[in-house]
Formats: sequence, structure tokens, C-alpha cells
Amino acid sequence: MKRKKHSKRTWQAAVATCTLALAASGCASGSDSADSGHGPLVIGASVSLTGDFADNGKAVQRGYQLWADSINAKGGLLGRKVKFKIVDDLSSPSQVITNYQNLINRDHVNLVFGPFSSLLTVPASQVAKRYGYAFLEPAGGGPQVFDQHLHNLFFVQPAPSVSSGDVFAKWVLSLPAGQRPKTAAYAELDDPFASPIAENIRTAFEAAGIKTVYKQVYPAETTDLSPVISGVAAAHPDVLVSGTQSNDAYAQVKSLVQLKFSPKFIFMSNGANSPLEFPDKVGAGNTSGIMSAGDWYPSSTAAGSAEFAAAYVKKYGGTAQQIDNTSAEAYSCGQLLEDVAKKTAKIDNATIIKSLHSGSWPTLLGDLAWNADGAPTSEFSLVQWQGGKLLPVYPAAKAQAAPVYPKPNWGG
Amino acid sequence: MRHVHTLIQGVILGVLTSGVFALMASGQTLIFGIMKVVNLAQGAMVILGAYLSYQLFTSFGLDPFLAIPVTTVIMFVLGVAVQWLFLRPLRKDDRSELSLLITFAVALLIEGVMSITWHTTSRSINTGYANSSWSLFGYQITLVRLWAFLLSLAVLGLLYLLLNHTRFGRAVRATVQNPESAKLLGIEADRVSALGFGLGAATAAAAGSVYGLLYPFNPGSHYDLISKLLSIVILGGLGSVGGAVLGALIASTSSAVVAATVSPAWSEMTFFVILIAILLVRPQGIFGTTVRSA
Repeated sequence: MKRKKHSKRTWQAAVATCTLALAASGCASGSDSADSGHGPLVIGASVSLTGDFADNGKAVQRGYQLWADSINAKGGLLGRKVKFKIVDDLSSPSQVITNYQNLINRDHVNLVFGPFSSLLTVPASQVAKRYGYAFLEPAGGGPQVFDQHLHNLFFVQPAPSVSSGDVFAKWVLSLPAGQRPKTAAYAELDDPFASPIAENIRTAFEAAGIKTVYKQVYPAETTDLSPVISGVAAAHPDVLVSGTQSNDAYAQVKSLVQLKFSPKFIFMSNGANSPLEFPDKVGAGNTSGIMSAGDWYPSSTAAGSAEFAAAYVKKYGGTAQQIDNTSAEAYSCGQLLEDVAKKTAKIDNATIIKSLHSGSWPTLLGDLAWNADGAPTSEFSLVQWQGGKLLPVYPAAKAQAAPVYPKPNWGG
Repeated sequence: MRHVHTLIQGVILGVLTSGVFALMASGQTLIFGIMKVVNLAQGAMVILGAYLSYQLFTSFGLDPFLAIPVTTVIMFVLGVAVQWLFLRPLRKDDRSELSLLITFAVALLIEGVMSITWHTTSRSINTGYANSSWSLFGYQITLVRLWAFLLSLAVLGLLYLLLNHTRFGRAVRATVQNPESAKLLGIEADRVSALGFGLGAATAAAAGSVYGLLYPFNPGSHYDLISKLLSIVILGGLGSVGGAVLGALIASTSSAVVAATVSPAWSEMTFFVILIAILLVRPQGIFGTTVRSA
């Protein structure tokens, strides 16, 4: 769920490039090769295999490939073998445009899936739109993606990234008045995928009378969070809401432990929801009671989850705990195609777009549905570290354990 | 009361952190002092030191503090090699200017090698004591930072002894003060330069081990570091090890105090305001001497 911001200039450049490329090729929308009905079904995707998003890009690639393996083992999609054509975009917004242009115009792929990050999804989705391709994308959930109002785009996660923390506010406010926190501190990374999540929670908390005793937004280059956390500790809040990405989340926890301050509730928007990295970076004993938002976790009981985890471990080794949820999100894109094919007995772009805009669709991430702009309308689950495991604790329908509060002390 | 507490805690954090920056900056300033070379690869060398330490810790369980003798030797050799291969061939007249390009290229080269070897994910060195702290009158003294501070003092002490009480040190100081006369007295400038660069890289390695304990790092972390190091060195006075230490102390403490009491968004800014104010009064930095034409 790590996302990068993108600059207005890049975006303008992207649109300009798109327009130029279109004019040059003189193409109209609609792909005649999308439903040729025979031969393998080729899905094109541009993925960051090098550059800033390399690790996340590889997680996307794994998810796509695993789904292809799974569907091919079952005889393919409507009898056609699924083949991925994956190209590297170097984590670059200009390369991603070239890649989708080539995939669609030169390679005549039948379908396309999205890249990693909102930064790359925005220009890529514009290319897909021009050619009438459905754009299922697992990793572009920033506001700028939905501000495009694209009818062909579907963000394959439960909710837009900035709403991922709403479930925490909902849970806290569902507690009996006597058990709710009275004071709150907010430590937020200045990033479009971190700070707004905490701000949404703050708005809900303040409306419910939870007093803000500390709030600090820190720039992305802040490596040392001890000074910020010493301010939090001095304010002694009942709840700490951290709008974090990854490294800053680890640094916050380390500083809290070092400063020996353990609030009754801690929610971290990101970083704490990484089953592998988080305990490794902060020490397994210090994870207890920390909450975050999640869409997939190794113990998930969603349709196909166990099969996905087993296949992942078989193909890539390691344990289910080591699976990046980005892979599950990418895999879910494939599941959606499978569902559409099953329901309509067709697998062309127009059918996919039309079908996904009505009803709700089961995936590893739960049932998904979208508004007209491709923003998912479900909600994330509240997850909590308990006994070294990341478990869904709210809403009750998805919970595998009861939420533990107050948070146990550090090391416990 | 709450604000006083935060302020004092900020000072403690800042002072303890200054040691590691003093260590990095002392290598930087030494290299400049000897060769009039602004080493833009110093940050990358620190991060490489952190990676070496990380590798020794994860592969062999070697504590980062105990790994320092190993990493400093490796980095010393690397530093000598960089000087010998890339800087020595430069003509003396334009060495200062060209060295900026060369050392930046070296930084990119190191960054590339680190990306291939360790990938771009952030790493951190998590020892059993990484999160321990002592409580003292209600203030928390982080053990890792305290050890890092003491280690930095020890290494800086060694550096001081080396520069002031050995033949090599005299040769270095002579080269710093007047390269031409030093040469006339039979000091081999190339040899002193190579050893000096090696020494700068070795301090980067020691600082890297500690840096890896305090902060997460990835191959791109050196960009943030080098800007901070250059400011520290300029504040203290280019070429002065004492200045580097004082510069680091001012930078770390002001930044921690402002981050704790006002906002982290202003902490870097405050340091630069101090930097500009001091440079207006003393353009050569606190302990700097006016730079002779190279």
C-alpha cells in the first residue's frame, strides 16, 4: 500500500505525450484483437522491475504470474491459456506510457493490467482509456487516480488509499464511552498516502470529542523521529494515530520504546501492516497491540486465499508471512477476470468494464465494488498484532480475534 | 513544564546524535584539508560502511560495534584505491574542480553497486539492545546513541593522536598547511593523499556502522547525508577536524531541539539560518583558515 506522490508537471507531460502519440498513430479507440476467441489470451502489464519501485513491482509481477499459473492449471480462461507479457518501466512515468502504447499497438495484447504506484497508474490508465481497454490496477489508489473520472479503471483494493484508516475511527467510536480514548496525538508523514489517512481519523475523533493534544507533520526526509516522539510522549495521549509509510513507522515505534512511552491505542496507517518487515524492524516483542489497516493477511479466509498462499510459497519459497499484500492485490485482478468470464462467458474489454460496474465481486481482498470513477466502495479491515501475528479484529464479520486494548506494554 | 521537558530531551538526543555526524564529517574535512578535494562520495561511503556492517551482522552475527575494525580496514583500502585510480591522475591545476565530478561519479558507482548487491529496500541493523534506554531524572538516554557517541569520541581521539603525534600526522598537517613546502621537505604528496583518502573512508566506515544502528538506510540515503555533511564541514571550517566536531554538534542539537519543540519541518531550516549567520561573520567557517589558492 506504499504509494508515491506525483508532480503536476509529470502529469501534464504524460498527457501531452499521450496526445502526441495518439495523433501520430491515428488510432481510434477499441481493440479489434481483444476478443479474437482463439489462441492464448495475452495480458500486457508494465511493471517496475528496476528503479524506485523495483521491490513492489516484483511483488505485482508475482501476483499476476501466480494467477496465470492457477488459471492455466484449471484449463485456462474460457479454454484459452493465459499468458502475461510483462515489460519493465524503470519506475518512470514516461516509460510507462511507451510501454502501454507498445503493448496495445505493437504487441496487440488482449487485455492490460496496471503498474505499481499512483504515479505510474495515472499516465498508464490514460493510454488504456484511449484504446478502450479495461484497466484493472492493484496499486494506484491516490486521489489523482480517481480525479481522472475514468470509466474503464478499477482500483483493486477495498477502498481508496486515503480512506484506509477510517475503519480505526469507526471501531474506536463504537466502543462504550468509558473505554474510548479521551486525548489523541497525531504524528504524520507529509505524503499524500500518509498524512490524509491520519487527518481523516482526526476529523472523526474531534467531532466525537476526543481532544487533540499533539499534532506534528514531518517532512519525508526526516530520518530521526525521536524528537517528534518525545513531543508525543510529553503530551501523554491515550491514542497515537500515525500517518506513516514504512521507515517512519519503524522509527516511530523504536523511538516510543526508547522513550518508554506506551499509549493505550496505536494506529499506524502503513508500515505496521507488513507481516514480515514490521516485526523484523521493530522487534517482534514490540508489535503487540499495534493496529493498522489491511486488505489481505496470511490468515485471510477470503475465497481462494489459502490456495494463493500455498501456490506463492510453492513457487517463490519462504512462508505465507513473507507474502507482500501487493502480490495478493495483483492476483485479485486476475480473479476478477475469472469471475467476469464465468458470469458472462465472454472476456473482452467492453464486457469487463460493463460487468465490473455492477454488483460486487469476490476476491482475495473480500467482495469489491466500484463507483463510476473506479474507486472501490468497500472498507479495509482493522488489523492488530497479537502474539506475533497480524490478525483482522474489526469489522466483526471479518474478525479472527477480538481487539486487545489497552495496548500491552513494550516487549510484551 | 511539558515544553521544558521536551526541550531538554531534544538537547540530549541532539548531543548524542552529533557524535556520528562528527565522525563522518571529520573524514570529509580531512580529505579536503589534505587534497583540497570536496569528496561527494563521503555519504555513499558511510552507507557502504553501514551495508558492510549489516552484512557482517546478518551473516555472522557480528555486532556492529565489533565489526568496525573489519569495515574500516576494507573501506581504508577502498579509499586508497579510489584516490589512486581516479584522483591521482588529475592535473593539480584543476584537481579541485574535476574532483567534484569524479567523486560524484564514485558516489553513483557505489550507489549502483549497493543497489545490485542489497536491492533498494531499506535495511536497518537491529541488535538486541537497539531499543534499550536508561532513565535519568525522567529523561531517556538511548543506549545505542550513547555508545555511538562514546565510540565517535574514541575514534576522533585516535584521529587526533594520529594527526598530532605521528610522523604521518605531521606530514598530513604539513601538506594541509603548505603543500609546496611540504614537498620541498621530502613529503610524498601522492602517498599522503592516498593514505588521507583512505583514512577519510575509514572514518566513514566507522560512522556507517553506527548510522546503520540508528537509522534505516537504502542505497539512495547518501544524497541526504552528503548535503548535511557538506553543511557541517563548511560551518566548522573546511579542513578543520575540530570544526567538523563543533559543526556536527551545532547541526544535530539545533535540529533535534527545533524538531522536538517547534516542528521537524523547520529543523533543517534553522540549521541553515545558523550556517548563513556564521558565514556572514566568518566566511571561512568557525575554525577555518582562508583557503589558499590551489
